[in-house]
Amino acid sequence: MRSELQELQRWMQRSIVAGEELDSAASLILPSATLSPLERLNLYRGMYEARLVEALRTDYPGLVALLGEEVFTELAGFYIEAHPSRSHTLNRLGDRLPEFVAEVEGLRRAGMVQDLARLELMGTEVFDEQETSAAEFPRTAGMAEAELGELRFYTIPALRLGSFRYPVHRYLAAIRTGGIAPRIPARPTRLAVFRRDFQVHHLVLSPGAAALLGALASGEALGAAMEKCPELRPAAVFRHFQNWSSIGLFQRIALPA
Amino acid sequence: MANRWQLPDLGFGVGLRSVHWAHILREQPAVDWFEILSENYMDTEGRPTYMLDQIAERYPIVMHGVSLNVGSTGALDREYLHKLKQLARRTRARWVSDHLCWTGVAGINTHDLLPMPYTDESLRHVAGRVRQIADILERPVVLENPSTYLEFTASTWRECDFLTALCEESGCGLLLDVNNVYVSSFNHGLDAAEYIDALPVDRTVQIHLAGHTNHGTHILDTHSDNVIDAVWALYRRATSRMGRVSTLLEWDEAIPSFDVVHAEALKAREWLPDAK
Repeated sequence: MRSELQELQRWMQRSIVAGEELDSAASLILPSATLSPLERLNLYRGMYEARLVEALRTDYPGLVALLGEEVFTELAGFYIEAHPSRSHTLNRLGDRLPEFVAEVEGLRRAGMVQDLARLELMGTEVFDEQETSAAEFPRTAGMAEAELGELRFYTIPALRLGSFRYPVHRYLAAIRTGGIAPRIPARPTRLAVFRRDFQVHHLVLSPGAAALLGALASGEALGAAMEKCPELRPAAVFRHFQNWSSIGLFQRIALPA
Repeated sequence: MANRWQLPDLGFGVGLRSVHWAHILREQPAVDWFEILSENYMDTEGRPTYMLDQIAERYPIVMHGVSLNVGSTGALDREYLHKLKQLARRTRARWVSDHLCWTGVAGINTHDLLPMPYTDESLRHVAGRVRQIADILERPVVLENPSTYLEFTASTWRECDFLTALCEESGCGLLLDVNNVYVSSFNHGLDAAEYIDALPVDRTVQIHLAGHTNHGTHILDTHSDNVIDAVWALYRRATSRMGRVSTLLEWDEAIPSFDVVHAEALKAREWLPDAK
């Protein structure tokens, strides 16, 4: 049997989160000299939605710019209703927003909206990942080809790889610098989203480079990973590794024990 | 008068906010101590942790949370408590505080400091939870009087008396938010001075100060402005009874430069009872 305290808390949460049973306010809440019980309750209802929408707005500034304040706020309200916070932190409140927007019908520029949501989610993920020191590119001179093929490139935790229908990183870059949001035509785009010196960066990858880095990130050895991108010449592969090492995408490069 | 745990008077501190990180590390201002919002540093291994580690090397840190959910009838979040304990160790936190409130039931977190009905049942419930939490954290729990915007018909206690009884029954300490006393007293038509006078002196570990937003019909605790003189007067009243207590200024909306926030915190010295 539920206690009076349990009943009261469950009622108040339902009224704040779902706007249910508001009529009960009159019997459960005292009026003040200036506000009715319902007006007092509505202060909490308003602050609840405002706080959560603000948290989403912070994590998805690109979506706010693309959709506009009004549409974003409405969308965020529906999202919060479907996915109320179940965590002690607001940091991960928006984790399901990309899948949520993918289900919304009638959104203008839906493909770009979905891509932008996915890219911004990746940014929040790498923001909070563990900081690790970067491995230097190893000396490979003198290594046998078979040995080279067994090299493993362990990527840093603060790295995400994604394929997009639009180059939405360009849109996001313009928003971040306060510039005018560019019109972006569809163009298949592969990106590495990573954090370096506590800043989130985007790196555009060619199809071959994306396949190679993706294979390495999933734990494949160099030889097996290179089979995923036969179009890449060895010189190009070498340049990619030099670049990826210099920007700190690997935390360890080693032969298997 | 010292609190019963002999927790030190840290002086005049400032709530640590991310917009000031770089300034603090660059300028190393002469601030007595910082209070962090615990949840901002609990689930990240990125920049927040990196900055906090450096600041904690130079300044005393106190942890202040918003998700303890001490008044909830839902289950205790042991994962949260474990993370809280780890963070307290990492920062060598002088003490850990949260609010007399609940934030959600049935697994949901509203991320708001929701008011309790002040009843005998609530007192027994919260006191039991405080004792459990203190056992897990292996340190006293310090609770802040919340800003509230409604009162329940079921309440049979005044909030100040409820807090006093809770301190006695649970062994918790008190974080007296003087601005919250002013805000809640305005919203409920109560006497703020009477509230201050009713609180237990030897339980008070810390004082909070902040600005608020007066909407005429009610006041919201927005931490968005300077402290008003009426709140400073309550601070003087409280310290007249309690002596010097670690005092902290919070500023969370429209945050000005660090120097402005720090200067506001240092105004507290001018409002101490023995100030010239």
